Parts: sequence; structure tokens; C-alpha cells
Amino acid sequence: MMDHGNDFSNWLDPDTSLKIFKCLDDPADLVRVSCVSRTWRDFVVENGLSKQLCLRMFPQLSRVACVVELNQNGVKGHAEVGSSRSMESLALWKDHRVFSYFARFCLSPIAMDCIAKAICASSTDNFPQESIDQTLEERDNIAGRFSYWSSSGQSNPNVPETLTYQLASQICIIKEINIQPFQAHFQMGSPIYSAKSVRFKMGHLKASLNDLSDEMFVWTYTSPEFPMAQENRLQKFILPEPVLCIGGILQVELLERVQRQEMDGLLYIWCVSSLCFSCSSSGDPVVTSIYC
Amino acid sequence: MAQEASSSTSSKTISLKTGDGEIFEIEASAAKQMKTVQRLIDDLGDDITIPLHNVFSKELPKIIEYYKKDITGEITKDFEAEFVKDLNDDEVKVLFLAANYLDANKLFEFLSQNIADRLESKSVEYVRKYFGVENDFTPEEESKLREERAWSFRGIKEDE
Repeated sequence: MMDHGNDFSNWLDPDTSLKIFKCLDDPADLVRVSCVSRTWRDFVVENGLSKQLCLRMFPQLSRVACVVELNQNGVKGHAEVGSSRSMESLALWKDHRVFSYFARFCLSPIAMDCIAKAICASSTDNFPQESIDQTLEERDNIAGRFSYWSSSGQSNPNVPETLTYQLASQICIIKEINIQPFQAHFQMGSPIYSAKSVRFKMGHLKASLNDLSDEMFVWTYTSPEFPMAQENRLQKFILPEPVLCIGGILQVELLERVQRQEMDGLLYIWCVSSLCFSCSSSGDPVVTSIYC
Repeated sequence: MAQEASSSTSSKTISLKTGDGEIFEIEASAAKQMKTVQRLIDDLGDDITIPLHNVFSKELPKIIEYYKKDITGEITKDFEAEFVKDLNDDEVKVLFLAANYLDANKLFEFLSQNIADRLESKSVEYVRKYFGVENDFTPEEESKLREERAWSFRGIKEDE
């Protein structure tokens, strides 16, 4: 580590200052610390503090093998010509730029629904009227026609269902997911086809798809199980911590069927809408992550 | 460490003398938590008044208060919040440096976090003044940095 001598501070040495800086949990504070002086900026970069802070905030980042920095035109950046820095130093500076930029989105108070499109459902009763696409529409009735997704019927209540969606951005920070089960007013007793509990998975498309395997996705995060209410309302499920979704794939896993359809005696799950709230991502192509 | 034949450590008190000549008593078990003090006790014996040249009468009582609570296992979040509530940033700085000198790890960790918390939303000028750092950026460099990171300069508290 560079010897900063007396430039550092008139009462802090590098060890004690590292202790304090590592306690900072707001990315903006760390950015401002690196604006204090050249010595401090170098210190923040050389100790990888921006990256460490991001890793603390989002443990999912530990799965990232490497980060490629793109400039504003979406083109991969090149090292400065005539730079005298070592490869290691260049990597540290790149990490600092990328992670301090990235961390700013965690602070955004704006939450917006970020489901861009539906990918697939584990089963569908009547396609396409009851397909997963109906869950992209918040209302349960459009111009007199009911809008909901229905699973196929099962006699075993423990057969789960999944709804898989693509998010608006490859990199999202997810805070909350809302699901509304459907109440079939057109059936006797107006049954509500909710599930007993729900769980969420996030991940990305597998790099190479093997014909023999039907798992198209790699899941990098699985939420705890949340109990679902047997109520016809938009139910909010707030994740214990905001989660970084790298790859833009969200799966809603509906566990344990509850409602039997009188007509055929089978158990179904029907869902009106799914909403997924994230911090706003500007869509700037600044960062792309690549897995090995 | 060999047990003293004359007394057991649990009820013994140690005398500490500050850099400005005042003497304070502390239980031996609390003194043990401050590694610098313990090392001095090991070297000089526990019957002698231990000299602490770099710690002064303003801060030592506060440190003793903290460790008195620590040995009875009563340190809670509420206690810690109360402990620093009326301290200004300079007083915390002094305590932090004393805890570092005394190698009093628990207090040092707590105060590190407290200083970091106090830096939240403070301006760059305040941080420079607080830590005694010279700004060695050129005016052009500095305005470029601020412009590129404008998002982190919003919501800054007024300097006191």
C-alpha cells in the first residue's frame, strides 16, 4: 500500500481511517470521501472500498466473475493511452468507477413496476385466454371479459406452479413484489383461487441451453416463503433486503393449492396480476456483467 | 498470566494517571479490556499507578464509564446511543483516538461506527476540516469531480 505520510490527515493513520470508511454504508458518503483529496481518493480506490460497500449491500454480486465497463456509446472502454499504471491498478480504478456509479441506483426512492414481459407459466388451463400474459394487466376485468391466468388442475395440492417474467432491465434492484389472486365471481360461492404461500426467484438465462435439461434459467436468489392470504386483493410481499437481480429474470413460485373447482374437483391457482417494484434503473448501458 | 498471590483480579481496582496528572480508579477486569493498560500492568505490576500520557482527564472518565457497563454485560444499543448523544464531533474524535491508544477494541469499534454515522450527509469541506486534510485537487479537477458525481452532493447538511 502506498505510504501517504502526513498527507492523510492530522489525526488519522491509514489503518484507523480504513476502519471508519468501512463503516460508511451510504454510497454517496463514500463518493464524497473520495472527493476530499487526491490521497483520500487513491486510498478509497486502492482499498476497493466502493466494491466492498456494494458487496455488503448486495451479496448477490459475489457471483459476478468480472465486470466490463462500457463508455457512453455502449462500447467497451480501453485503457488510457500512455498510462503508466499497472494492470492491477487499472483494474482497481475500473472497479471503483463501476461500483460507485452502480451504488447510486440503490438510493433511488423511485419504485416502479419493472416487469417487461411474461416468459412462461408452468401450466395454463385455457390458452390463450387464461395465459400468463393476463397477469401483466392489473385489472381483473377488461370490457366485460375477465383477465387472469389459470393453472391446470391437479388433485394433489402440493404440485406448485411458477410464473416466469422478464424484467425491464438486465440489472435491477428489487424491493417488493405484489400478487393478486383471482376471485371467480362467475362460479358458485365466488371462490378465490389463491395459493397457500409464495416464493420468488431471480436469475438469468443459462448461457448454453442443453436440450436434455428443461431448466432454462440459473437462479441466483431465492426468497424466503411468504404466506399468501385467501383474499382477492393485491398482496404485497416485501423482500427482507433489496435484492440485486442480475440477468433480469423473475420467477413467482406459487406453493400449495388451496381452492378446488367444484366443476371437476381439481385444485387450481388463478392469478390476476403480478407487479415487481424496483429502484429505477436509468437504462444507461454503463455496466455489463459477465459470468464465467 | 500468573495469579497474584495477594489478591484476586475480580475485586481489585487499578489506578490510572492521565497526561494532565489526575488519577482515576478502574476495576481490574475492566482494565483488562484495554490492552495497552493491561500490558502496562503486566510490566509495572498492579499496585502501581499506571501512567497514561496520551489520555486526559476530560475523556478517561467517559471511557471508564463505558467499560464499567461492559463488564456487567449491560451495554445495549440504548446505552450506546445515550453515551454519544451529547458529544460533539470533536469530543468523539478525542475519545476515538484515546480508545485507539488504549487498544480498547470494543469502544474503538463502536466509535468508528459513530464517526462514520456522523459523516453522513456532511459536506466535503466539513470532512476536510474535521480530519485536517488539505485539498490537493486543482479547482478544475474538483469541479469536474463534483459535476460527474452530482448525485452524491444532494441533500448535504449545512456545516455547523
